Amino acid sequence: MEGRCAVETWAQFGFSGGSYKVKILCGFGTDVLICTGTEEIYVFSKRERKITTVLLLPAAVNDLVGNQDKQLIYVACRSGVYRVNLQFLLHRDQSSQADASSSPAELKISQECLVVGADEVSSLLLVGSVLLTLCQRDASWLLTLYKTPKQTASTSHKEFGSFNLPVVSAVDCGAAESNRGPRKGSVLICIHSGDVEASSPSNASAESTVAQDHFHLEPLLFKLLFGVEAALAKSPVILCGLPDGRLCFLPLRLPGSCLRVLHSLEQPVCFVGASVVTETGHAQCLVAAGEQGRVALIKTDKAGPEGGSAVAAFTEGCVPGPVWCGCMDKSCFYYSTGADLLRLDLLEGSFARESKERGEETSGMTAAALQSPSSLNVCRVIALAEPACSTAAGDVQLLGVSARGQLQRICLPAGRVDEGSSKLPSTQVSRSVRDLLSAIGDVCERASVLKTVIKSKNQFLRLLNHAVSVSFLLMADTTTDLPIKEKPIRCHFETSWSRLLQKDSLSLVCFLHNSSPFVLERGWMLSITVSPLSYSSSPAGESSSTNFSFPFHDLRPGQTFEASLPIAAAGDASFPMTVSCSLIFSLSSLLGEEEVAASFAGLQSSCISLPLSTLTVDWLHALQLNSPTATHKMATVQPSSAAADSIQTFLSSRQLRCSGRTNRGGESAAKPEPEKYSASVWVSSEIVRDTLKPKKSSNLDAKESIRDPEDLCLSLLERLLSEDTEGVKMGCQGDKIALSTSVAHARGPNGAAMKLSVKEINVGEEESTDKEATIEVQIESSSLAAVCGLHHAVLRRIQTLLQSATEKAASTKNVQILGLRRALQRAEIQQSQISGAFGEVVSTVQRDRLLLSVYQELRRNPLLIV
Amino acid sequence: MYQPPSLLEKWSQENNELVNKCKQQEAGGGAVSQDHRQSSLRWCSSEFHKLLRKIQGIPPHVDHSQLELAVVYNTCVCFTAQSQFSEAELLLKEATERVLQVTGNNADTSDPLVLWRAGLKSAGNTALHPHVLYLLCLQWALWLAKCQLENIGELQEQMSSLCEIVCDGVGDGSPSEAKGRLSKSPLLVMEPKRLTELLQICTSIAQGAEKLNEGRSSEALSDLQAASALPATRALVAYTHLLSGSCLAHMNRPQMALQCYKKALETDSRCVCALYRSMLIYRQLGNTQAEIQALRLLHSTLMLPPATEPVLGGIQPLSPSLLLSSQSLSRLLSVPSALSVLYSLALKCVLSGRVTEGVEHYLDLLAALHSEDQHAVDAEVSVLPRMPELYLEAGTALLFTRRPADCMAFCNEVISTTLELVPEKVVLEEPEEGIGGDARGLSVEGEDKVAMLLWAAAAYLVQGHCHAHLKDWKQAVTHYTRCINLLVKVHLKNRDFQPQIPAADVNVKHGKDLCTLQRMKGLSLAWRGISFTQMDQLREALRDLQLSLQAFPDYTGAGLWCGEVLWRLGRKHEAAACWEKTWSLTTQTSVERYLILW
Repeated sequence: MEGRCAVETWAQFGFSGGSYKVKILCGFGTDVLICTGTEEIYVFSKRERKITTVLLLPAAVNDLVGNQDKQLIYVACRSGVYRVNLQFLLHRDQSSQADASSSPAELKISQECLVVGADEVSSLLLVGSVLLTLCQRDASWLLTLYKTPKQTASTSHKEFGSFNLPVVSAVDCGAAESNRGPRKGSVLICIHSGDVEASSPSNASAESTVAQDHFHLEPLLFKLLFGVEAALAKSPVILCGLPDGRLCFLPLRLPGSCLRVLHSLEQPVCFVGASVVTETGHAQCLVAAGEQGRVALIKTDKAGPEGGSAVAAFTEGCVPGPVWCGCMDKSCFYYSTGADLLRLDLLEGSFARESKERGEETSGMTAAALQSPSSLNVCRVIALAEPACSTAAGDVQLLGVSARGQLQRICLPAGRVDEGSSKLPSTQVSRSVRDLLSAIGDVCERASVLKTVIKSKNQFLRLLNHAVSVSFLLMADTTTDLPIKEKPIRCHFETSWSRLLQKDSLSLVCFLHNSSPFVLERGWMLSITVSPLSYSSSPAGESSSTNFSFPFHDLRPGQTFEASLPIAAAGDASFPMTVSCSLIFSLSSLLGEEEVAASFAGLQSSCISLPLSTLTVDWLHALQLNSPTATHKMATVQPSSAAADSIQTFLSSRQLRCSGRTNRGGESAAKPEPEKYSASVWVSSEIVRDTLKPKKSSNLDAKESIRDPEDLCLSLLERLLSEDTEGVKMGCQGDKIALSTSVAHARGPNGAAMKLSVKEINVGEEESTDKEATIEVQIESSSLAAVCGLHHAVLRRIQTLLQSATEKAASTKNVQILGLRRALQRAEIQQSQISGAFGEVVSTVQRDRLLLSVYQELRRNPLLIV
Repeated sequence: MYQPPSLLEKWSQENNELVNKCKQQEAGGGAVSQDHRQSSLRWCSSEFHKLLRKIQGIPPHVDHSQLELAVVYNTCVCFTAQSQFSEAELLLKEATERVLQVTGNNADTSDPLVLWRAGLKSAGNTALHPHVLYLLCLQWALWLAKCQLENIGELQEQMSSLCEIVCDGVGDGSPSEAKGRLSKSPLLVMEPKRLTELLQICTSIAQGAEKLNEGRSSEALSDLQAASALPATRALVAYTHLLSGSCLAHMNRPQMALQCYKKALETDSRCVCALYRSMLIYRQLGNTQAEIQALRLLHSTLMLPPATEPVLGGIQPLSPSLLLSSQSLSRLLSVPSALSVLYSLALKCVLSGRVTEGVEHYLDLLAALHSEDQHAVDAEVSVLPRMPELYLEAGTALLFTRRPADCMAFCNEVISTTLELVPEKVVLEEPEEGIGGDARGLSVEGEDKVAMLLWAAAAYLVQGHCHAHLKDWKQAVTHYTRCINLLVKVHLKNRDFQPQIPAADVNVKHGKDLCTLQRMKGLSLAWRGISFTQMDQLREALRDLQLSLQAFPDYTGAGLWCGEVLWRLGRKHEAAACWEKTWSLTTQTSVERYLILW
């Protein structure tokens, strides 16, 4: 157990360690008084090892001082200063103890004991017959002197002087408040010049029992600090440490003296004392400690700076940890940080001074001593006192109060640390080396962990920076409205039919081209939402949209990302559909869920979504073209219905043509057979020619080909089927099938066979001169849905065609575009009605009626685009 | 006609009980401490205030007004006695407004003067009039306490009519009638007549002090002399005499002033200020004996325990000190502390040759300073010299009374305290014009060092004198040498700066230090020379004496001794020349402190 402290718990009192000023007062024979900041003062008897009495005061206690000779204590409460005659109390106590032995007696201190009616006295000090109180009044600290009466019976305490010191703005109050340690008010102590006591016998008795707050300082240091006059007047000096960090002094008996600032610690002063006691009983070092660990040692420096006389040397340093409380013995300063009890050996510094001559080295040594207080391994001590009696063996005994309200006796091992270390046994040496090595290992491990953390944080920051840049880029796009080809990050789509397990399915291939200077890395993903254009089909309001997302893995600048997604198997999709794609950056995929939860609690679910484009996949995109040769082949493979359809298509096409001739003026003809439906769009061939020209002129000798109406029709059909509108392109089929005629047979996504034919007709009155050359786009199918869908799609195409030609378009054309748009809307409504009719489970009669009405509506709207 | 006990009666009964209680406490208050008095006052005022709030809870009514105003009066007296002026003023204002309401006038002004005029006018000749006047008395007291003398001047005619009415009113008519009226009307804490008398004299005193401060002495004098005839307590009458004396002193009529001070003292023997002022006049007149006498009286008066509070406050809650708080007056009445009086006494005694007496006073002073009862109380700047100087002066005085052993003890004390702090080298800077902030900071640090060195050196010098006095020349030489060794540690910063001794223009501190330094150098060298002469070491003696004459040519002793040594060495012509030169020097400079040194 060498080198360890023995802690012995003496008593436990009901007190929860709050932010109170706890004080232990020794020196009353075998009694120890403890005030805990509450209304109670505990009297602990060392002889009986228990709390004998509890004094109950009218208000919370701030400070406590005692007069050993007269067995008086003065207690500073919130409401004033009370005087308690201990002797009287304890006698009464003993007499009462005969009957009630175990539980401590409780004594209520009445208002009669009030001697000074000052509020909020924070500190008390008794110097001879003078009682000093320190309190804060408005904007100043007030040190007030009261004369205590010679006779203890008298209660009159006459105030005969007070000293003011203006308050300066407190040092970082917030930090002091947040500190969980005990709250400190101010410190008041009394310093006597060392040579005075010998001559004045009146204080001799007080000296014999070393008072806690009276110190005898070496005369030279006393003179240096407080002046020759105070020394000549043999005046004790009051030293007070204030919460604003100032250390002030007042020569008590010097006429005309005032409170002056000696030093400032710049943090609340929580302890002031004197130590390094020589044989003559004079302390050589004045110590002041601040709450946050700043310690000032004030000593005499015999060799002054300029080879002159002695000067007072102020050495400041910081000791680890907050200082909760402290006490001194003859050579050491003990203080508690709450986590540990530490010992600061002040002798080391002074020894060093004697061995070395130079002043700088002295302060260096002292500062070094300040750096290395030795741990005593006692935690949670909130008040300390050194009882007057130390054992003969040189052991140091301290009295402490723990945060849990225990009165503890702490026996420190004899001998100083450095002496002990020189003669440590080898086992202990090896043990300590092992300890050190393992500590080094721990530190190393921790350092590497920290390094990786820093690295990942850097990485993360870089990614975030990229994310911000990319989003800035995309946001700028939306505002400037660039054409899609010039966007730095753009995507386009292709539809393609594929056949898998004898089932045709349409898939949409998305190409995302990254031409921005940034790499799309981990954390980014492409999100594609596919939803039907018409929403009325879902009566319950459930969204029928489908969401696909594709995370990126390092999409470098210039690279293209390709993702294909199945839109529909044949027959179960509702076209047209909206495809919107956006880039999403999510923190959680970057960091991992738990880390996000830890550091970005608010951001946990949110991710950044940057819309890229929204487009429509319509019937034309989803068409499956049949080459004339392939039709039969297909028919054999196709389910019978499809085959029948194709035959019917073939048949009906002829009929339609006839009807077209008979019913001119109407855009399509109703057939006696109800399965056949057709719809047509008429476009002025002039416009078509104009709009198609720029495309064709590049590779062909345009004039001739365009003049030829047959060519014109062909190119329009080609355009309709394969043109890349809004970034959606029909898949490779378009290339394969060379359109030889202006009639295309195809199967819609629902499997219905349909025919798309483009031909030039003449509309208008035959006799009129301004005969308009018109191109008719006719859609025929046995499926009403297919006709509607395709009609809608064709209208859209023509709209975009016309939009691309708006530069040339005159105002008349604008009107027509408006009309076209209206027609388009109507077509969309019809489309939704149809899909509604099919989606809802209703009777076939009802459905038929609905479809019929749609059809009629279709017919009622002739459309000529001029 | 019988009336059932109404609220009015209940309240007036309550008021009367309170007043009686108050008066009992006041009457029995002789022995009770100040604290107790204060607490009872506090209790009274709160009780009165409670009652007043009850009464004012109902709208003002003619029947109640008399009682209400009486309670307002009582409450205000209590408040004023506790220096709660603003509360009292508020109550008065409210009361006046209510009076105006009762009489059917409207108060739409906040100016107190206008309000009072309106109130007095509206009260007119009703039964309320005396009560409104009483309240005006209180307002007067408040203005006086707050030193707002101009307000009092504004309402001068109202005040004077008030005085007449209040003072005569009670005496007017047959006593039985007055008694009957009194028994009906509610009791008052303080008799308005007494209050008015107090106010009259206090106002005169305050105004007199103010005028004196402004230099209108003759005007003030006539007022004060008129006021001294007013009925008042002794202390206040003494104040009028004292202020008259000050006026006369100001008008350069010291003898008449002395007469006035004497009258003041005769009126009130505790008027220390009169003693102090007379002392100052004696000092001015150069009458040292009288000055010493006055100082001694002053000190003993100051040392008297302030046992019994002046009786004048005994019955009245309002004390004159409350009403006489103006700055100019307190400046006129201020008296230095007992310690500084004692110091002046001691110094004066020693300087005027009454050394034994002076020594006693010095010893008393030092004892007082060292006593446990001495505390650093007086915040005002002390006129006492610094402690080491006090020790040295006391030591020198002891030497004068042929107590060299005691003197040496004092010097030892100074040496032991200061010697450790004396630096190896001190630089004394020439008092230059352009002293920068940096140099000033240094010089403040250095100044204390110089003082320390001078103190130690002076202590050695005095010790040397002690040994010389004991004819222990060898020891004397030792101590003079120590003194010289200390003095040569001072380096003058400016080498070509010729130390000029004339003491006429030594206003600057350093100049004074320098002067003292040279003087001490001269003295110590001269006396070492004299000691050497006594030991027949004439060569060393001649060297020292000549050095001394160089350092401090004004010191005639050195010149004479130099001539003596030259004579003994047989250089008679030189001796004659030296003597001649010395005699031709007219030495009249008297530098107080260091002349005492020798």
